[in-house]
Amino acid sequence: MAESLVEMSDSEDESQELMTPAELVTKLEEIWLNEKFSPELLENKSEIVECVMEQLNHMEENLQRVKGVDLRAGVHRMETERIRYVLSSYLRSRLQKIEKYFPHILEKEKSRAEGDPSYLSPEEFAFAKEYLANTETYLKSVALKHMPPNLQAVDLGKSVLKPNLDSFVFLRVKQRQDNILVEPETDEQREYAIDLEEGSQHLMRYRTIAPLVASGAVQLI
Amino acid sequence: MDPSEVEFLAEKEMVTIVPNFSLDKIYLIGGDLGPFNPGLPVAVPVWLAINLKQRQKCRIIPPEWMDVEKLEEIREQERKEETFTPIPNPYYMELTKLLLNHASDNIPKADEIRTLVKDTWDTRIAKLRLSADSFVSQQEAHARLDNLTLMEINTIGTFLTDSLNHMYKLRTNLQPGKETGKSQDF
Repeated sequence: MAESLVEMSDSEDESQELMTPAELVTKLEEIWLNEKFSPELLENKSEIVECVMEQLNHMEENLQRVKGVDLRAGVHRMETERIRYVLSSYLRSRLQKIEKYFPHILEKEKSRAEGDPSYLSPEEFAFAKEYLANTETYLKSVALKHMPPNLQAVDLGKSVLKPNLDSFVFLRVKQRQDNILVEPETDEQREYAIDLEEGSQHLMRYRTIAPLVASGAVQLI
Repeated sequence: MDPSEVEFLAEKEMVTIVPNFSLDKIYLIGGDLGPFNPGLPVAVPVWLAINLKQRQKCRIIPPEWMDVEKLEEIREQERKEETFTPIPNPYYMELTKLLLNHASDNIPKADEIRTLVKDTWDTRIAKLRLSADSFVSQQEAHARLDNLTLMEINTIGTFLTDSLNHMYKLRTNLQPGKETGKSQDF
């Protein structure tokens, strides 16, 4: 069973990436950690989520057929529990960020170009829109309708916090990168460039390395 | 990140066990394990090793680095150097705790090992505190921390990044006329 390859299709350019289930699980853990430590919502990786769900369901079905308490079934069950934990923790991080930054995320989603990868899965998009509508209704019915008519509008884009892309993050380098600009903290310092060697670990601002996280060249830790 | 989540990641490391049961190869999603034959060593992930040990189905063989002389050497080197020395396993702290708590009967000189690892950990954490302090006071923008393990980074990680972010906010608010667009932070 582990020898079979998992097919993942990339909807944009119709290419298919073949991964072993073990590689799939490793990839899931990588995106889990990236989502956990990144200050903004990262690209939606629904292909990985779907493939993992498929593997888990497949395993569950096989386990249903095994009767009684078996050592082998127990081991499989433990593994599926572990994978399930990582998956739900990943989805939970995403939902927390959607709830925190919903106006900005919806704005970003509306203004993205046709070919760009989306940040929200269809379900997450529906959730975000509902959350926006509910928040607006709530504010209206609790406070706004009692205000004088010219003050009844609220701009959620201004009043909700934007994700802080200047937060510091810890990262591990997976692919060597040269000449990454480090911006100065104080006015006296000057900016300088560093090389990121493979396997090294760093602490720096998220903003400069954000594209590297998206491309998979660094891993947040 | 919660320390138990770091331990969760550490549990994926492989360790050798000697089972007392037999079972054919298991085809897990994450890879193949076994076959298991009584008396023959086999490599399994730590989460499975601990579970089998708790059910008295195996004996755990300590990893190569979990040896008194080796750990003494590492401890001495850590105390001498000002920078962080590379350590044999990126999850040394978690593995020591897990293996010593569940399989101390399979590990020779368990107490000594516990003390040695704790001493090394204390030295490293003290060094980490000092370098985090100088990072903040000199307002550096970048630090390289190659030989640090995930558990050590995680110990000060959240605190350090939150305080750096706060300081950044205070600093940018000092500059006049800057459009912040931020309101309250919950």
